[in-house]
Amino acid sequence: MANEQQYRLRVRYGKDGRLAYLGHLEVLHTIDSSIRRSRLPFSVGNGFARRMRVQFSQALPVGASSKAEYYDLVLTEPIEPEVALERLRASTPSALAPTKAAYVERRAPALEAWLTRSDWHAELEGTGITAEALDAAIAAVAETGAIHYMRGEKPKVADLTRTLVSWQCAQSGDVVELSLQTRSSNEGALRPAILIDAAFSAAPLAGAQLAALRVTREMQAHEEGARLVNPFDENLVISLT
Amino acid sequence: MRPERRDRFRDLEPLLGKVSHPARYLNHEWGAVEDQPGPFHVCMIYPDVYEVGQPNLGIAILYNELNKVEGISCERSYLPWYDMGDLMREHGVPLLSLEASAPVASFDMVGFTLAHELVASNIVETLDLAGIAIRADERDEEDAIVVAGGPSAWNCEPVSPMFDAVLLGDGEEGIVDMARCVRDCRAQGVSRSDILLALSRVQGVYVPSLYDVVVDETSTEEGYAVPKPGSGVPEVVLKRCLQDFAASDPVPQKMVPYMGIVQDRLAMEVLRGCARGCRFCQAGMTYRPVRERNADQIVEGTLRGLELTGNDEVSLTSLSTTDHSQCALVLNRLTSELNDRGIRVSIPSQRLDSFGVDMAAAVSSGRRGGLTFAPEAGTQRLRDVINKNVTEENLEAAARNAFENGWRRCKLYFMMGLPTETDEDILAITAAAKKVLEIGREVVGRGYKSGVQVSISVAVFVPKAFTPFQWCGQLNTEEVRRRQQLMLHSAKDRDIRISYHDANVSVLEAVLSKLGRRGFDLIMAAWKRGCRFDAWTNEFKFDEWVAAGEEVGIDFGEIAWRDLPLDARLPWDHTSPGISKGFLKREWRRALAGVTTEDCTFATCAGCGVCPSLGVENVIAEGHRG
Repeated sequence: MANEQQYRLRVRYGKDGRLAYLGHLEVLHTIDSSIRRSRLPFSVGNGFARRMRVQFSQALPVGASSKAEYYDLVLTEPIEPEVALERLRASTPSALAPTKAAYVERRAPALEAWLTRSDWHAELEGTGITAEALDAAIAAVAETGAIHYMRGEKPKVADLTRTLVSWQCAQSGDVVELSLQTRSSNEGALRPAILIDAAFSAAPLAGAQLAALRVTREMQAHEEGARLVNPFDENLVISLT
Repeated sequence: MRPERRDRFRDLEPLLGKVSHPARYLNHEWGAVEDQPGPFHVCMIYPDVYEVGQPNLGIAILYNELNKVEGISCERSYLPWYDMGDLMREHGVPLLSLEASAPVASFDMVGFTLAHELVASNIVETLDLAGIAIRADERDEEDAIVVAGGPSAWNCEPVSPMFDAVLLGDGEEGIVDMARCVRDCRAQGVSRSDILLALSRVQGVYVPSLYDVVVDETSTEEGYAVPKPGSGVPEVVLKRCLQDFAASDPVPQKMVPYMGIVQDRLAMEVLRGCARGCRFCQAGMTYRPVRERNADQIVEGTLRGLELTGNDEVSLTSLSTTDHSQCALVLNRLTSELNDRGIRVSIPSQRLDSFGVDMAAAVSSGRRGGLTFAPEAGTQRLRDVINKNVTEENLEAAARNAFENGWRRCKLYFMMGLPTETDEDILAITAAAKKVLEIGREVVGRGYKSGVQVSISVAVFVPKAFTPFQWCGQLNTEEVRRRQQLMLHSAKDRDIRISYHDANVSVLEAVLSKLGRRGFDLIMAAWKRGCRFDAWTNEFKFDEWVAAGEEVGIDFGEIAWRDLPLDARLPWDHTSPGISKGFLKREWRRALAGVTTEDCTFATCAGCGVCPSLGVENVIAEGHRG
């Protein structure tokens, strides 16, 4: 609409339980209908298809859970963030429930390209896996500088020199826990499962069998020099009053 | 033996990461009835993958009706795609329901939707994956009662050996009566055979095992079914009919899938039944009488449905939406309510004669994609034969109306192989497309940038039970292909796009439409040869079906292409949608004479027999049409 007021509401949500198996488009589709059900006054684009004005952060791999996914929704009325959050929570499947909402600058950069850093937590179970072996295997993979893998029928390359920031391994009973920090850019991102797959082909994990893998995205941020900027950073969030 | 009812999602979960589209198996969608206390449990199954089955309105209606009943719970299940089916077999996981992830075989009653003929092999696959005996007569006392219903129940004989009972006609009341019947019988400790007998007393329920198939000089080799001596079952089972359709919930589809499904929109059934009398159309004959909801109910229901689901599109569905006596009013009210919210109002293919200027303006205020019309045949002569009472002028007026209201793409549905068809009729199909294209260019302008385009989709005619053309043979494949080539070569304009059906698919549809109970041997043989998902173009294995036919002594050409004698007893004569055989014969003779029959909602009664035999009548919201 030509003269409508526009307010950009930033929403953080999780992805949990069996809904971890939703693909990115399925998450978008589900949240789109959740927003419509919330009856919040969302803005509609003027294009041929008249779509809702909403932008999402980067795709989460199918099978991965998350505590920190984001979307920016443009509203035409300044609804109190707590009220908007409550209405969205009530209209969204609980496994995708929003956990925080605040208004940000209308012209802030788009989330997808802006959020360049992710922290991951992975739990590995199986035979022959130890924290030391996993650590050594990832180090061996990192040493090669890149992972060549197939996505469907397409050959892909993950450039570890750009995308792999750091990792730490710890033993917790029979479970090996991996904390992983990655970086994405226009050239691509590193999916934890790809790194872990490659690690199982490396010598330190020879003969080990992975029985179960649970991956969770713990955090997303924008990398600004040495500083990580939170999507709800005080310099970004604006007050309605 | 019936397995224990328990949640087996933990067994399925490790397989999710290994299959395509795991969202098919996740369940707990928004709007699903997660609380399933029972104690009587029903599972409704659409025998295809989730995204094909989930939009089915029939299952949504029955799901709601059953879940409303105290003591009865209803869940859903769909056939897993190959990858998941193989993994489930490998890991010993049977087919599960969605809501409670319980084994389908543990349910008290399992219901299948017979959406079309090509689901036959999928039903076998579904039962096998569930661990339920495929043949009804091989099931144990305690096993689930397996029932079916839906549009393709009209000639259900080839699939009937798999079902304990088949519900004919409208299901919303009948399915509840069936569930109550089974529940009460089970509570009384009644034997399985007595449960079936009790089911046969429920109006509209056909119990195949209580009928013998007789082949004699009065029938074809497919025979006809007669009640088993002493069973007391009716000679002819009349369908159920929901007279007070308007009193039913206008928004049955309350669930919002996570994944994209084939019809991802709110479906509002604005009317049921159609009395236009197109002589090829099975639905037009079997869903009578016509029952409309009124405009207030449609508008209120749509707004409520959109609030409940968050859909961004609503489709006003029925066999002939633009025939609704308040269609223009409904479209105007809906578009004025919804246009600013980015919500689109759509209607399925339109009749050429009832798509008025007012409707075009109302629909076009939303997004304009393509607009679809169904002239069905190219010449007036053939349209009279099939009783498609539309004219050349109707086509031209509708096309002009559409282009003037902003549409650029127009799709036309036709059929090939209709009775009495000649080459002249085929050439007239492309001539009609050229005419429409010419009108579009005249209204919008010429050249690539005008975007004017006409698509024609040409299906091969399949003769169906309970239509005036049920006695016709299908056009043989060789001749179908010749006529397809003739059509293709007669349309040179690049803005006319032609698509046509695979003739082999239509042959199988005709075979399954015409066979009697022995057709089950064919279905089993085909399934054993790996046939399933036959409605999927890439999965259809015609050679395997033909080989299966040879194995069980069924020649496809002989079944599909031959005409049946008008006085022969037919394999489906013991079931009835209420339409009289005398009416169908009269319509066949009128077809051959090129004489049309009027729609009884616009003119006088045509004598089809539905109203007196079922004790029902047409319900028109405005009081009259036209």
